[in-house]
Amino acid sequence: MAKLWAVIKREYIERVRTKWFIIATVFGPLLFAALMIVPAWLTIKTKSAADLSSTVILDATNTGLGAKVSESLRGFGSGPERVPDVRVVAPSALTEAESLATAEVMRKQRSGYLVLDQQTVAGESARYAGRHASSLTAMEAVEDAVEKTVLAYRFEAEGISAEKARELTAGRLRFRTERITDEGRGGSGAISAFFGLGIAFLLYMSIILYGQNILRGVIEEKTTRVAEVVVSSVRPETLLAGKVLGVGAVGLTQQLVWVATVVAFLTYRVQIFNVFGIPAPPFVMPGVSPGDGLLLLLFFVLGFVFYAALFAAVGAMVNSDQEAQQAAQPVMLMLIAAAIFIQPVTFNPTGGLATTMSWLPFSSPIIMPLRLTIINVPTTELIGSLIVLLLSCLLVVWLAARIYRVGLLMYGKRPTLRELGHWIRYA
Amino acid sequence: MPEPAVEIRNVVKRFAAHTAVRDLSLVVPRGTVYGLLGPNGAGKTTTIRMILNVIAPDSGTITILGQDSTSDSILDRVGYLPEERGLYRKMKVRSILRFLAELKGMSRRQADPLIDEWLERLSLKTPDKDWGAAKVDELSRGMQQKVQFIAALLHDPELVILDEPFSGLDPVNSQALQDTIVELRRRGKTVIFSTHLMDSAERMCDAVCIIANGDKVLDGALADVKAENAGRTVAVALDGAPSSEIDRIFADKSLVERVDDSNRFFEVELQPGADAQELLRAIVGSGARVKRFELVQPSLHQIFLERVGAKGVEPGISGHG
Repeated sequence: MAKLWAVIKREYIERVRTKWFIIATVFGPLLFAALMIVPAWLTIKTKSAADLSSTVILDATNTGLGAKVSESLRGFGSGPERVPDVRVVAPSALTEAESLATAEVMRKQRSGYLVLDQQTVAGESARYAGRHASSLTAMEAVEDAVEKTVLAYRFEAEGISAEKARELTAGRLRFRTERITDEGRGGSGAISAFFGLGIAFLLYMSIILYGQNILRGVIEEKTTRVAEVVVSSVRPETLLAGKVLGVGAVGLTQQLVWVATVVAFLTYRVQIFNVFGIPAPPFVMPGVSPGDGLLLLLFFVLGFVFYAALFAAVGAMVNSDQEAQQAAQPVMLMLIAAAIFIQPVTFNPTGGLATTMSWLPFSSPIIMPLRLTIINVPTTELIGSLIVLLLSCLLVVWLAARIYRVGLLMYGKRPTLRELGHWIRYA
Repeated sequence: MPEPAVEIRNVVKRFAAHTAVRDLSLVVPRGTVYGLLGPNGAGKTTTIRMILNVIAPDSGTITILGQDSTSDSILDRVGYLPEERGLYRKMKVRSILRFLAELKGMSRRQADPLIDEWLERLSLKTPDKDWGAAKVDELSRGMQQKVQFIAALLHDPELVILDEPFSGLDPVNSQALQDTIVELRRRGKTVIFSTHLMDSAERMCDAVCIIANGDKVLDGALADVKAENAGRTVAVALDGAPSSEIDRIFADKSLVERVDDSNRFFEVELQPGADAQELLRAIVGSGARVKRFELVQPSLHQIFLERVGAKGVEPGISGHG
């Protein structure tokens, strides 16, 4: 036991000390924060950047609609007092006015033009042409201004005052979804899907990163020939176990740091967003019960052991990183296959695909936690899937230990499948 | 009589294509320096790995210091320097030694002072520079070999097994290693080392075992081995030029197989079964004056060539003895 502990300690400390680990652990949350803050910040930035005041409104409606649209676009310019110019044109002269405006835009005198005609009054269409055509925020602002003005105009035509019209059109429907589980109502549906995706992705990344880390560790022990000294003191099985547990603990440490930072970030998001002068987006923390948390941990640990043992066995079979790339492909394929189904399962977490993938040991460590956070998985299915995973883990670890024991001291040609069979039988 | 340091009984190890060790039995007495000799591919490393339970024999038993080699903590009392040597490249020297000591059941507190002692003894720690704080990467090859050597001896093992310890060592380190082996023996430890360098084995070993092609060719105390293989070569020196009578005696095929003639000094190889006394009588009878007549003790090198040469090295076998 003391020796196992020594191996775990070495694997853990040597990895946690590396620059790579520190950078990834610290920058992971920073990246997450940046992903949240930068888009919000950019949205605000682009809103003020798209100067709509140099747009010209070609008003062919004969109703003064252009002036009202222009007024509601106040603020989308370089100064609060600037509004887009309005040219009132006769419907027959519209084509000519448009080609004139196009020329002006090309000469950079104008940034674009907005055409309002009879179809606009009818609530059917309006047109914008110009430099801001692909700016989503600018176009949304223009569309919003036209839509509201037309609506107000049509209300007025029905004899409703401008004041009343604004009041009537101001309402904006918000659609909210909420989950109900056995424990009661818990968090929003969309957010738990988002959370589930996050968890699945995190598991997938950890298994890939740290599984390959184990692979490289085993190859290092082989190529530097330090393996022989180590296995003359501990059994190869102990070395394998220590490696998997030590590296697994590194992955878990990193995840805990990440999750803790993300939770802290979301808890204090209002204050953090304030620093950047951005209103915090609405967000409800997903409720994860301790039981769910334990299940997530269990799936992660078993999934990690499953893949880590396979990666270690691959490492023992090969002699260089290049060879390892090739030999690890079957293992990687299983992982990638599991990852490919993350999205379809998110959309249909109760379907046949989702259920099947939750039973198979190579995909259940990723798919099951995902479903667990989105829906209520039946207990029988949950326990069954865990048992299948656990048994597969035992089998894989047993096989890997035998391959590892023989492979660790074998140099030269990579074994064929038949030779691998020999290794397993005679180890 | 304490139980032997190592006792191997009828051990067999087969790999897919060939038999690496064939029904090997040998006994290494305690407190001796024991040489495991043989050409490349003879099965030396396989034997050593089986002693250390790194690989399991297909059949047979191995006992170390009176206990089964697979029993749990017996390897804590054994130190091992493998032929292919290496260390974790990115680790600090002190941490790696501490780790390897922990694997031998030592606590950190026990190991740390010993590590410093050893680093100083092998001049890896001087007032100017402490290589213990350096990463393995930064060390020269010679220094790395010293670190590996410390790792094998740090836990003061009763049995030390060195696989081709002299290969790749410069003369200075080679001498240091030899001194250490002698010192270990003086302190009552048992040292087993494998080599194909017969002169270092001859200088240092109390007992040897020669294996070739997985078979034991001979084993026993060095003196016995030499005595058993002596008796066929006679060194003869005469006073004055040899007469034609002497030539006739040396040409007698019933007595002499071969003669190295250096005019006044002859190295005579007797026919198997021929008696050296008869040769002496014949020479004296010829009237020649004998200055020297000596049954030559063959060198280990000669014994090795004679006993193994015929069997040779199995063609196509490479890698680790």
